Amino acid sequence: MFVSKSMAIKVITVDPEETILAAREKMKNHLIRHLPVVDEQNRLIGIVTDRDIRSAMPSIVLQDYNSREERNKLAMIKVKDVMTREVVTVRPSHTIEDVLLLIQSKRVGTLPVVDDDGHVKGIIGVQDLLRAFINVLGIEEPGTLLCVLVEDKLGTMKRIVDAITEEGISFGSILVARYWDKGKRAVFPYLLTQNVSRVKKKLKGLGFTLLNPLDWYIDQLPTDGR
Amino acid sequence: MKKTGYLYDERFLLHETSSWHPEAPERLKAIHEGIQKDGLLEHLIPIKACRADMRWIETVHSKDYINRFNDACISHVRTFDCQDNQMCDMSFEIALLAVGGILKAAEMIMKGEIDNAFCAVRPPGHHAERSAAMGFCYFNNVAIAARYFQIEWGIQRVAIVDFDVHHGNGTQHIFEEDPTVFYYSIHEHPSFAYPGTGRDFDTGIGKGLGFTKNSPVLPGQGDDTYQLYLKRDMIPAIGQFEPEVIIVSTGFDGHMDDDMSGIRLTTECFSWIMEQIVALAEKHTKGRLLSVLEGGYALHRLGELAKNHVTILLNGGPDVR
Repeated sequence: MFVSKSMAIKVITVDPEETILAAREKMKNHLIRHLPVVDEQNRLIGIVTDRDIRSAMPSIVLQDYNSREERNKLAMIKVKDVMTREVVTVRPSHTIEDVLLLIQSKRVGTLPVVDDDGHVKGIIGVQDLLRAFINVLGIEEPGTLLCVLVEDKLGTMKRIVDAITEEGISFGSILVARYWDKGKRAVFPYLLTQNVSRVKKKLKGLGFTLLNPLDWYIDQLPTDGR
Repeated sequence: MKKTGYLYDERFLLHETSSWHPEAPERLKAIHEGIQKDGLLEHLIPIKACRADMRWIETVHSKDYINRFNDACISHVRTFDCQDNQMCDMSFEIALLAVGGILKAAEMIMKGEIDNAFCAVRPPGHHAERSAAMGFCYFNNVAIAARYFQIEWGIQRVAIVDFDVHHGNGTQHIFEEDPTVFYYSIHEHPSFAYPGTGRDFDTGIGKGLGFTKNSPVLPGQGDDTYQLYLKRDMIPAIGQFEPEVIIVSTGFDGHMDDDMSGIRLTTECFSWIMEQIVALAEKHTKGRLLSVLEGGYALHRLGELAKNHVTILLNGGPDVR
């Protein structure tokens, strides 16, 4: 899962010398909130967001908002005056897991994708990540979620996968997650079938514990960064 | 006492899945025995299956799909469209018989020969999409019945109430842009259960906005949650829609003994649910109600569940005996 596969390729950019009013129009017209700022060679030199622009504008409750003087002043402000120069970027070869962690730690919503020389190649945001993860979870195909509690031991997953495969059932996805008992894992096979009675019995017969997925509370898991 | 029709035909048993498949002929045998045992049969008006006219199937399904299904049966294909859909050479014909019988029941309701009916059919229908078989279903029985009521009898507004434990994706998708058919479903939450659709924020599309309603229920929940949601969601929604006919997708697989889901309903709650739906029919549709079997796989429970279901239809309300 690489950024190159999930990013938007058609990037709307803005020149640093353009006014913030022009930049605001661009955002409005394309229904976006981030504009990478590029030089003539399409190299990234900053990013401007709708928030940067709004902060530069006078509050609408100010009386002289509509005065000619205010409007002229506003028309003078350029993108380069309000843009962020230290941009968090990724390369096309980054994975979407990288982006997920970056978005969380840097608290940004959209990242320009650049090559080694700083040329803008694409842009990736929370929406693109959501699409990628919906795809990974397989939840757009009909299926049933199981929750199997297992010992955290080599070969356990193979036994589960084998048991399900023997039933002729296809996987939409399979997630493995931490469990609050040490040495145990919660395994979530998402099976592309309605027909789970027999495979449930089979897994129980093999000694696995089937949990109600609701009994697995992500909030109660230890957060000690294990 | 109401005039209640009962559609059952031994030919429905001829749709074979495979030796281990839960959607097995034994389901229907258990249901029929349950209804027979208490001497209920003599109070019911029997309806026999008959082959549906293809033009009714085409009101819901694409010609291409119908032909694909027929061809598959003729060429002895055993798995159709997805692993869940196991079938035999007869399956196409049996599916047509099921629809034909249901339309016969609908006709009898409209002619006043019966007030309501329970159609014990196989294969089930609510997962079947316009052009795809899914989840043991081939023709969307209730969707075709809704179109039949509208086209043949000029009914303006049809409500479909689906209490099978799985969401009726096919039925929702067929009618989601249509304001003349209201689809209500209560089912196990789609993040945990097949088919992964039926979120509470699905409320219809375009002109059909506001004419789809879903009540997803988390696994482990049972009677209390169902009663709460049906009172909160189903009763006001159907009341506001004012249907002229109610079609019920009847599934018994939310029973606590049924391992097809994590929902834990008691036998008594299934009666309570049906009493609410019959009361809605009394209030809005002059009692006109067509109940069509979907799922339900706990063989030892199906007899009593079907018996109670039919008794409530006969009484036009609670079983007071």
